[in-house]
Amino acid sequence: MASSTHWNVVRFFVTTLYLWMGWILFTWSLSLGNLLLGLVQSGLVALFTWPVFVEENEAARRSHVPRVHFLIVYLLFLIVQMYGASFRVLWQILRGRINPGVVHFRTRLRTDIARTALANSITLTPGTITLFLDDDHLIVHWLDSRTTHSRYARKLIAESFERVLKRIWA
Amino acid sequence: MNWGTVIFIGLGVIFGIMGNLGVLIFPDVYTRLHASSTASTSSVFSIFVACMFAAGWSPMTGKILVIAFFFFITNPISSHLIARYAWEKDVVPWRRSYAERQRLSHTSDE
Amino acid sequence: MDQLLQYALWFFLGSILVSMVRVLVGPTTADRMIGLNMVSAQILAILVLLAVREERSSFLDVALVYDIFGFIGILAMVRYFGRKRG
Repeated sequence: MASSTHWNVVRFFVTTLYLWMGWILFTWSLSLGNLLLGLVQSGLVALFTWPVFVEENEAARRSHVPRVHFLIVYLLFLIVQMYGASFRVLWQILRGRINPGVVHFRTRLRTDIARTALANSITLTPGTITLFLDDDHLIVHWLDSRTTHSRYARKLIAESFERVLKRIWA
Repeated sequence: MNWGTVIFIGLGVIFGIMGNLGVLIFPDVYTRLHASSTASTSSVFSIFVACMFAAGWSPMTGKILVIAFFFFITNPISSHLIARYAWEKDVVPWRRSYAERQRLSHTSDE
Repeated sequence: MDQLLQYALWFFLGSILVSMVRVLVGPTTADRMIGLNMVSAQILAILVLLAVREERSSFLDVALVYDIFGFIGILAMVRYFGRKRG
């Protein structure tokens, strides 16, 4: 019971912190009045929304603090991957020889937010789109489908992302 | 003349043209979505980077960085929403015929 | 430099017109939504280009809000068309 109350307080403060970060990024000024106004307002919003924002389960409990240096590495890696995939799609549009297909595979990531980030990255790179995500089961539409075997498809599509994402949200 | 701006605007223009062409010529919803993600994500992100080069070190660059970050989060979500809408409406993905696929895999093996 | 940004602006205006073709002729609802998504992304690029060319950062606030509203618009359309009948 006590640990659950403790976890509720942590959930409330995590929600407030994220909202406050959003406020600072939006207004982009560091004057004292602005910061205090943002803190009060994000606290008020967090009072109503904390049960929705951070889920109450084991998978969410480990995932609310990312490792920031790996996050920056991941963003740079994502940009490189995006440009590579864009040139591949561009070549396929020019040649007009596409071979689309749908593959299923399971990811090995544990936390909810890491799975969401994986699905988001797969959709961001042109050439692969997440159609459905249910716990750890992804359905991916693939523009140049080289295989229908699920383990091999996971190796081709998701493994390079998973290797970094595992480190961000341990 | 700022070469970063020139290169990234060139990339944005190329991706924009090819993405629009792909959306016009591709056969079904899912494949068009791939082409539109080339046009919207890569092209617009290139334009953001070009604008950061053009603005130099100023508060504007930080704001463009924030916009690019939000864009990285929201744009995949909206294309995933469209894809999942089509998937739940039972739109069958377009595929090449079996003989054509065999021929393609045969020629690509060489 | 100003000239280059001006050309990019003209290019994206033309590109939006080409994207609107898919909104007009698209056979299904999802095709039209793809067109709208592309149009909203390219308007975002136009807003950022304008802000840098005019050196006025209030356009960037507009762009930030436009980004989020485009996303919410797609979300509302998907919820509206995708609900079960009966």
